[in-house]
Amino acid sequence: MKVPPYALRIRIVEQERTRFRLWFPLFLLWPLVLVFVILTLVVTAIVDVFRLLAGARKSYSRLVVACLAIVGETRGTEVFVQDKSRTVVVTVR
Amino acid sequence: MSEERDRILDLLAVGKITAEEAGRLLDAVESRRRQTEAAPASVVPENGSGETPKYIFVKVLSVKGDNVNIKVPLGLVRAGLKLTSFIPQPAMEQINKSMGEHGMSMDLLNFKSEDLEELLQALREMEIDVDAANGDNVRVYAA
Repeated sequence: MKVPPYALRIRIVEQERTRFRLWFPLFLLWPLVLVFVILTLVVTAIVDVFRLLAGARKSYSRLVVACLAIVGETRGTEVFVQDKSRTVVVTVR
Repeated sequence: MSEERDRILDLLAVGKITAEEAGRLLDAVESRRRQTEAAPASVVPENGSGETPKYIFVKVLSVKGDNVNIKVPLGLVRAGLKLTSFIPQPAMEQINKSMGEHGMSMDLLNFKSEDLEELLQALREMEIDVDAANGDNVRVYAA
């Protein structure tokens, strides 16, 4: 599982001038997300134990981890869209 | 290296370089990245196997000035495949049936990670390059 992205960068350019620029430090959110994830995993682990005893195979804890993995894999995404009047650049680092 | 890509995209955004020039510069940056990351004794074997591609690139160059350049990590495909195991069986059967009706007969339930790695390796050789009659160009490749 990759490390989650640390920053989101958005830039909107109109008529060769930057109209909007944002550099959002995603790393500031990760401690909060980590607390939420830990609490969720505690709950899902308890649920999984009962489900396992009941014979169920799918694990909700694995689902949480899989969702985290997807967030981590977004690192490196770049989107650049340009039309005649406006350019939008979004990068996830 | 990511700063170079940002600079190129910024130059393109403000119009200091054309989309074609940006595409060439981005390709040059990417190939230089691959060369610097290669191991010292790395020689690509004759059977073509080598590094698994890490990103898929979609580039659209339009004569009207509507340009798109997208880079998506292929790791998202791997991570997304793991989520398919959580889809309920009746829903998965419905998905497989619908995909089969559209010409894609693939059972996502039996799609193993080894099959995915093989598919991603094969993507190294894939390049889709479409030149439309009106001058637009669409290029899709993995690197």
